[in-house]
Amino acid sequence: MRYETVIGLEVHVELATESKIFCSCSAKFGGEQNDHVCPACCGMPGMLPIVNKHVVDLGMTAGMMLNCDINRTTTFDKKSYYYPDLPCSYQTTQLFSPVAVNGLVDIETSQGKRQIRIKQIHMEEDAGKLVHDDWSDTSLVDFNRTSVPLIEIVSQPDLHSAEEVIAYLERLRSLLRFARVSDCRMEQGSMRCDVNLSVRPEGSNVLGVRTEMKNMNSLSAIERAIEYETARHIDAIENGTEELVQETRRWDDLKGKSFSMRTKENAGDYRYFPDPNIMPVVIDDEWFDRIKATLPELPEVKKARYMTELGLGEYDAQQLCDSRALCDCFEQAYAVCGNAKEAANYLISDCMNMLNKAGLTADQLSINGESLGKLIKLVTEGTVSRPNAKKILAALFEQDIDPETYAKDNGFIVSNDTDLLKTVVKAVVASDPKTVADYKAGKEKVLMALFGRCMKELKGNCDPQTLREVLIEEVMNS
Amino acid sequence: MEKTTLISLEKLNQLRLTDEQRDSVLAFFDAQSGRLAELNAIDTESVERMVHVMPIMTVVRDDVEKKLFTRDELQKGAPETLDGYWQVPRLVD
Repeated sequence: MRYETVIGLEVHVELATESKIFCSCSAKFGGEQNDHVCPACCGMPGMLPIVNKHVVDLGMTAGMMLNCDINRTTTFDKKSYYYPDLPCSYQTTQLFSPVAVNGLVDIETSQGKRQIRIKQIHMEEDAGKLVHDDWSDTSLVDFNRTSVPLIEIVSQPDLHSAEEVIAYLERLRSLLRFARVSDCRMEQGSMRCDVNLSVRPEGSNVLGVRTEMKNMNSLSAIERAIEYETARHIDAIENGTEELVQETRRWDDLKGKSFSMRTKENAGDYRYFPDPNIMPVVIDDEWFDRIKATLPELPEVKKARYMTELGLGEYDAQQLCDSRALCDCFEQAYAVCGNAKEAANYLISDCMNMLNKAGLTADQLSINGESLGKLIKLVTEGTVSRPNAKKILAALFEQDIDPETYAKDNGFIVSNDTDLLKTVVKAVVASDPKTVADYKAGKEKVLMALFGRCMKELKGNCDPQTLREVLIEEVMNS
Repeated sequence: MEKTTLISLEKLNQLRLTDEQRDSVLAFFDAQSGRLAELNAIDTESVERMVHVMPIMTVVRDDVEKKLFTRDELQKGAPETLDGYWQVPRLVD
């Protein structure tokens, strides 16, 4: 018998805010334990939550990017469960009127294009972190992450393979990064995923027993977990190896297996009820329109425009469109220098190399696009040589400088002094008769050695084409 | 209410009822079911959900980070701490 895997995802995304969802503590990742805490996020008696407006901004932005309807009156609810990393013994979340509902996400796999339905996006607070201390046989609680704002994106069970799941997650990550909703760094836990999976005979419209794997934070682990869990379900159905039950499971990537954690709770177990401490959030037309006006051009639309209007190749356009920061910098640079190919090259090769060396991602690029455009203009007009442009770019990476002033201050302006050029070339040629003889004998490549030495003597400040012409003339006449 | 549901609720609330107590609770809920059926029979299709008893909306604050308390201040009343952590009985999922 052939089987169909049915998968629905709950994706948690930490929002790019400065402060937490209900208090003013820092929402930054990391920090000394319990350094980003206050009585509100520690759940001390009498403290009341105040909603961070930017969280609602980002919830709406995510909803609009995923083609959802925005609930203009959105409310918070309490989800009760006890655990030491949840100091209030309830999580403030949204059940009855989430910020966004009924969305659609386009994905593309080897099987073609499909649309995945989004059931809802709700805003909620994250839990803290527990460290298990074997020495003292206790658990240690860090509340820094408690109340860090999240959105949970709940899909309908429309996915049918690991490939589709990966395509969906990559699409979500691209859209949310582009809209600056989140950095979506799975390795830091700012994007993590619960996989709900069941298996049924192909053609059946009855769902099988559903299991959930929680807090998956690597695409490759998700792929392996889906393949394992699908095989386990089919084995149980066909061979009766075990009884499938609705439950939450933990994926152990090292062992390549999933393990039962607990019987799956239902909504009733959490005793959801409207949070009486937070009045409804009402999104008026002005607020709605302001967020709508900030939505970015979609990456695929931008990519097509870069290719058709600016003449970039598909590879270059795709590389740029992987990051909103690269796109913004590219567009600012292009507006100044008018040379799309040069701007793309500097960003994709030189800037990305510098980012990689600094351990930063493309989204952390902070180079001023206008300054980059000015630098490219200096290069294409022949005012600064390419080797020296790299030095100026390195300085620009550290701080925003005016490339022309920096070039002048550091002696990087290409010299028009042809007498100096000829003097240097003459001296280099005279010092190396063997290489000159080799060139004359037909070994054209050796000219590069002489060229390099001349360039070094001139500190890179000459037009390469002029140098080459003067050098060949000098060699042939010597 | 089914007996299995009651047992599930007992477990969630860390209660242990005797069979006699269970019968009494189930009888109580059965008595309420008629009243609930009456409520469920009311057509609320066109009635807007009440989200709060007062017709007011929440205030929101700007996304500005402020450090208002130190860790030491917050942990003054903690029964146990270790290296800046709150220390609790061991819990492993």
